[in-house]
Amino acid sequence: MACFTLVPSTLSGACALLSSPSSFRSPLPAMAALRRPFLTYPSAAAIAKAVEKKSTPSAAAATEVAVEFDFKGYMLGKAESVNRALDRAVPLTHPKLIHEAMRHCLLAGGKRVRPVLCIAACEIVGGDEALAMPPACAVEMIHTMSLVHDDLPFMDNDGLRRGKPACHVVYGEPVTVLAGDALLAHSFGHIADTANYPSAVSPALLVRAIAELSRCIGSEGLVAGQVVDMESTGIEETVALDRLEYIHLHKTASLLEGAVVIGAIVGGGSDGEIDRLRRYAQCIGLLFQVVDDILDVTKSSEELGKTAGKDLVSDKTTYPKLIGLEKSRKLAEELLRDAKSQLEGFDPAKTAPLIHLANYIAYRQK
Amino acid sequence: MAFSSTLIFSPHLPHSKLPLPPCLSRKFRFLSSPLHCASSGAFTTLASSSSLLSPMSSFDLRSYWTSMISLIQSELDAAIPIAHPERIYKAMRYSVLSDGAKRASPIMCIAACELVGGDRSAAFPTACALEMVHAASLIHDDLPCMDGAPLRRGRPSNHAVFGVEIALLAGDALFPLAFRHIVGRTPSLVPPATVLRVIAEIARTVGSTGMAAGQMLDLLPDAGIQAREPADVMLVLEKKFGELAETSALCGGLLGGANAEETAALRRYGRAVGVLYEVVDDILMEQRGAGSNGHSGKMKSNASVVGALGMDRAMEIVDELKEKAKKELKYLGDKFGDGVLPLCGFVDYAVERGFVVEAVGRT
Repeated sequence: MACFTLVPSTLSGACALLSSPSSFRSPLPAMAALRRPFLTYPSAAAIAKAVEKKSTPSAAAATEVAVEFDFKGYMLGKAESVNRALDRAVPLTHPKLIHEAMRHCLLAGGKRVRPVLCIAACEIVGGDEALAMPPACAVEMIHTMSLVHDDLPFMDNDGLRRGKPACHVVYGEPVTVLAGDALLAHSFGHIADTANYPSAVSPALLVRAIAELSRCIGSEGLVAGQVVDMESTGIEETVALDRLEYIHLHKTASLLEGAVVIGAIVGGGSDGEIDRLRRYAQCIGLLFQVVDDILDVTKSSEELGKTAGKDLVSDKTTYPKLIGLEKSRKLAEELLRDAKSQLEGFDPAKTAPLIHLANYIAYRQK
Repeated sequence: MAFSSTLIFSPHLPHSKLPLPPCLSRKFRFLSSPLHCASSGAFTTLASSSSLLSPMSSFDLRSYWTSMISLIQSELDAAIPIAHPERIYKAMRYSVLSDGAKRASPIMCIAACELVGGDRSAAFPTACALEMVHAASLIHDDLPCMDGAPLRRGRPSNHAVFGVEIALLAGDALFPLAFRHIVGRTPSLVPPATVLRVIAEIARTVGSTGMAAGQMLDLLPDAGIQAREPADVMLVLEKKFGELAETSALCGGLLGGANAEETAALRRYGRAVGVLYEVVDDILMEQRGAGSNGHSGKMKSNASVVGALGMDRAMEIVDELKEKAKKELKYLGDKFGDGVLPLCGFVDYAVERGFVVEAVGRT
């Protein structure tokens, strides 16, 4: 099969993009200090070997430490705290309509993966949950805003979101546009307001967190991914691998990166720690999409809870289509391994949530 | 429209380029200005109202303004370089760098910073950010599902050139870029706590209790709020126009190191001027007959003060707002002397510019 010959280029493609300064890095001088090359990917042979063994010894060791960890309980507990904080962050004030719309979207449920990542990153560097809560809420507001705008009839035209009618179905398009804008603005106001923090917090750290977050969600991050994705749909030729990675790294990974990095910043993490967590987030972001593509071709609609095979029908370029199912699985294994390897330098007692989050993203069934 | 295309200053205005007479006491300057204009409702009243500045002390707002515009333009140009993916950057640049934008918000921000003794470099990044968030709001406001305006500043609106998807995303990208510009470019002489305060203020201004609220009340008069009711019309103006001017003046003051009383005065001043400008616009629109401000560089208001309250009341409101602004300027002038002149110029400009331009063109 032709796809076999693509294996090395696949990995070098991922490697090149993840390490490329131009694709991800901020030109802000303050951020320049954070730049380190992405860890070199192992050779194709080494990967094949690692995949054969299912996991590397280090990853296995890390998993053992975390074996007693109640991941589900952790996720549910954190999600509950996040939901309470979000409820307080967007009260139903005047004018009611726009706040109702914002709350409709924001409090619709969901796993709160991004805020939990933010909190977990803060905790892993020694901060606590309350300190990370304003940034965590901000990230969820931004995620919600991007979904809300995406669902608009002139965008993806989706009438359902998380099993509930989309915002524009309930409140109309004008309110939806404004509610999204308001959530976006509010996210920055929420991080910047020192009154939202439990105790004194360093303004310099918050400024740095805002710089990171704004880069991750603007025309160098999330929006760039949305634009390139939009430009890649409906075209005749197959989207190249590097372009596919660009889309996923920006559209999905960059907000995860923002969540993790700002959590680590407010938690007082060192530059080295922030850098490792950034790479962890980039890996799990890409992993999320690779797994999504695999599930689309391997699971039934019933199992997924959404239309399976949608990507095939819609001519959307996916990893299985581009490099084959087996190579996609290998890529996923490699990304998972690499994500976990970033956590090796941290206190083993605190790595469990992020290890389990990576596993969860890799091994989810829908 | 004044806040739209080019800067038009009437030759009738007593704006000379003469330096200020240093002997003129600032106290007298304010008292000698026959600020109050009769509220008879006759449109000529507005015309006859004298400049806030006496002719002797006239400050050349036009020079101040135009010299500042080119600086702001070049900083905005550098802030949004064309990168990959080009289409989004081009769309952002199209709206932010549009020719003829008057940059009223950034200039008020810089003037407020200089007034309280700050270095203008402290306010420049925030001034540019104000323009970015303003542009973002305008792009979204023009979308077909919103006002559906095909033109903006006399040329096709963003979505008409780049499509609705890109227009929506360009707005979405300009908000974070604005905040990023502030944190990335504000010189280190400004304490981080002040930078945070500025970000929080701008976020509140464009958010659900500020401009977005105003847009919503304006767009959806049936949605539980009758935006044609007098009180609601004023609320729309305060939210859509007052808030941005308020934040412009306030943030300039904060960045310049103003204390609590000074920032409070700047806040009230900015709000009064922002609403004043819009009320005068409304009056001019009424005089002109046709309400066609689709070419405008600012937001369109569907709620008309004159329509809801009548011309007489609108004229009274102009006076009241001028009084409000004047009161704050008196306080600031006593404190900072001639530094207050640019802010005085804004009040004059808000009242007189459009009218004089319009009056000349009409007869």
